[in-house]
Amino acid sequence: MFLGTIVYALVNSVILALMAIGFNLTFGISGVANFAYGALYIFSAYASWMLMNLLHIPYLPAAVISILLTTLLGALMYRFVLLRIRGQVLSEVIATFGIGLAILELFRYLGFVGFEYTLPVFIDRSFFIAGTYVDMQRIIIVIAGVLIVVALWIFTHHTAVGLAFRGIAQDERTALSLGIDSDWIATLSVSFGAGLAALAATIIIPLGSISPGEGYDVLIKALAVCIIGGLGSTGGVIVASFIIGFAERFTDSYIGSHWTMIVSLAAILIVLIVKPSGLFGKQKELEERI
Amino acid sequence: MKQKLFFTSLVLFAALTWLIMIPTALAAEPIVIGVPTSLGFLEGKEAHKAVQMAVSEINANGGVNVAGMKRPLKVVAADLRDAAPGVPVPEALLGLEKIILEKKPTAILVGPFRSEALIAGMDIIAKYRTPMLGTIAMSPGSEKKLKQNPEKYKYIFRTCLNAVHLVKYLAGNMALINKQFGFNKVYIMHQDVAWARATAGFVKKMYFDKAGWQVLGMEAYPTGTSDFSSALMKARAKGAQVIMPIFDMPQSGILVKQWKAMRIPALMAGFISPLAGSDAWKIFGGKIGGAMNSIFELGSAIGSSRVPQSVAFINKYKRVYKKSLQAGHGPAPAYESVYILAEAIERAGSLDPDAIVAEIEKTNRVGVMGRVRYDQGHQAIFGSDPQQTAVGVVFQWTEDGKRKIVFPQSVAEAKIQLPPGLKSLK
Repeated sequence: MFLGTIVYALVNSVILALMAIGFNLTFGISGVANFAYGALYIFSAYASWMLMNLLHIPYLPAAVISILLTTLLGALMYRFVLLRIRGQVLSEVIATFGIGLAILELFRYLGFVGFEYTLPVFIDRSFFIAGTYVDMQRIIIVIAGVLIVVALWIFTHHTAVGLAFRGIAQDERTALSLGIDSDWIATLSVSFGAGLAALAATIIIPLGSISPGEGYDVLIKALAVCIIGGLGSTGGVIVASFIIGFAERFTDSYIGSHWTMIVSLAAILIVLIVKPSGLFGKQKELEERI
Repeated sequence: MKQKLFFTSLVLFAALTWLIMIPTALAAEPIVIGVPTSLGFLEGKEAHKAVQMAVSEINANGGVNVAGMKRPLKVVAADLRDAAPGVPVPEALLGLEKIILEKKPTAILVGPFRSEALIAGMDIIAKYRTPMLGTIAMSPGSEKKLKQNPEKYKYIFRTCLNAVHLVKYLAGNMALINKQFGFNKVYIMHQDVAWARATAGFVKKMYFDKAGWQVLGMEAYPTGTSDFSSALMKARAKGAQVIMPIFDMPQSGILVKQWKAMRIPALMAGFISPLAGSDAWKIFGGKIGGAMNSIFELGSAIGSSRVPQSVAFINKYKRVYKKSLQAGHGPAPAYESVYILAEAIERAGSLDPDAIVAEIEKTNRVGVMGRVRYDQGHQAIFGSDPQQTAVGVVFQWTEDGKRKIVFPQSVAEAKIQLPPGLKSLK
């Protein structure tokens, strides 16, 4: 039971990291807190579902198309809405939250609520690991989580666009003086963040179902992870995911399922009291010192 | 010649009378039926469609006879959204009051989805003296409130199953499992909402504790939970022979998928709403074989040849809407409620709410769910014989994707099968 709990806590942690990493990427680079993030996650899942069930496209191409569509939607959102209010934090939050609300409630209004909205698992098998059975989809999630983090590191450290991302994240004015187009990079960051949300949905949704309510949950989870880890810090996101992921599963196993949410919220409160900038939030920490 | 003229005049007179009468009948003021519920959720959506279907049938037969005048029925719906997580009860109540004030319905059918909204909404319904035949919310709290002040709350009826009757079905099914296999160790998992909490608590108190079962654990999950691995591991570690789930949220189907994927050697027997309909087999990729599920009212998602009306209702729904019924709770009582209301209006001969209520109380109708009668708390009486009472059923998914009714005995068509790895103690 203890080992089994560790296995499922590990899976839960990777799920949380996958849910938060796109939100964190966008904020870390462009400074935009994309509150439409959960809605983009759900948009991608519904897009896959529609491509599969209405146009009868197989899951893999359907998933690729929906990821590309969501990535494009993220870019359009930046170019047509966020560009005009860039730097006005409150306006950015209101605008992105409004867009997210519109997307989710539109799906609800159109009747996309029910048990039938789900995506198939990639491989339908279970394996006996550490005294418990774990389905292949969860193993795929862990592998995908590791691969995405590694790919993201390689991208930001060894590609021209990735280096431009880091340049903007470190000091936008200096980056501008070196010829990096900050608006273009910010567009890409929102777009890539949306794409990562879509990728997370493609891998995670087969475990559950698609519903507009799930969009709000994903946003809250992404926010919780980023607040604990420190907004903009990839390392922080990973550590925070493991803190919350393990806390949730161990609370569920040894205290009671109804305490799970309370423990997560308590973790956020404690971190905010002890270290308001989050565990790895360096930029805010500097401001606090001043 | 005169005779020919006479007959011609007679034919013309008859034709003229017919032409005058038809528009009059068509122009008769419709009787408005309000359907305020969570229209975005499966139970609410299909209950609304079932109401529309019954209304079409009645209107096709000329409408409802009110003191000698045939009047058509008209359905107006409002989405209360009370089933959605995070929607506060006051918001649902605003929707309820709005439809009563703006559409002035003669009666309300289906009603609030969550019991919390129904119990709070009873004062609004009483204030505007609008008879209501609820078909989704299940907490017995509404009957308790009604019994405390019957004159004030007499307008509220419930045609669907309530948590007390559900407890009887769950307990009856557990007794059957105990008798057939000798099992007496159960793990309870339920959604953290009023009706599910009440149901789980009642089954434990009224059956498991008295019948000598060991309740190895009782877990409450907030609406929206999508990982049940911890409880399933606990159920396995503690040696549970039966897992009793009680959920009505869309994510609850994941529990059965996880139960299957983790190969938990325990019988899954309770209520998980996504498992009720025929489409569940495809939706869950065939990973639900062996799971037992309750259908709250016969005719909602499953019919029995022993009650031909239930099969006819299901078939007609599929014919009309080109889709099978999937909700195991709501559609059958919603359909029946239209007929119960129409018959009560005809007996009362008026649309006076007190007269209608007095006639609904006298209901004794055999239909889709069996025989419908109401008790003193205005709750439809449920039992095990469709000739005597309304009935709910428990079915089991077979490994080849069929649903077989296993309880109650009066409508059972198969015996319970155990999942792999679980052996009978008898």
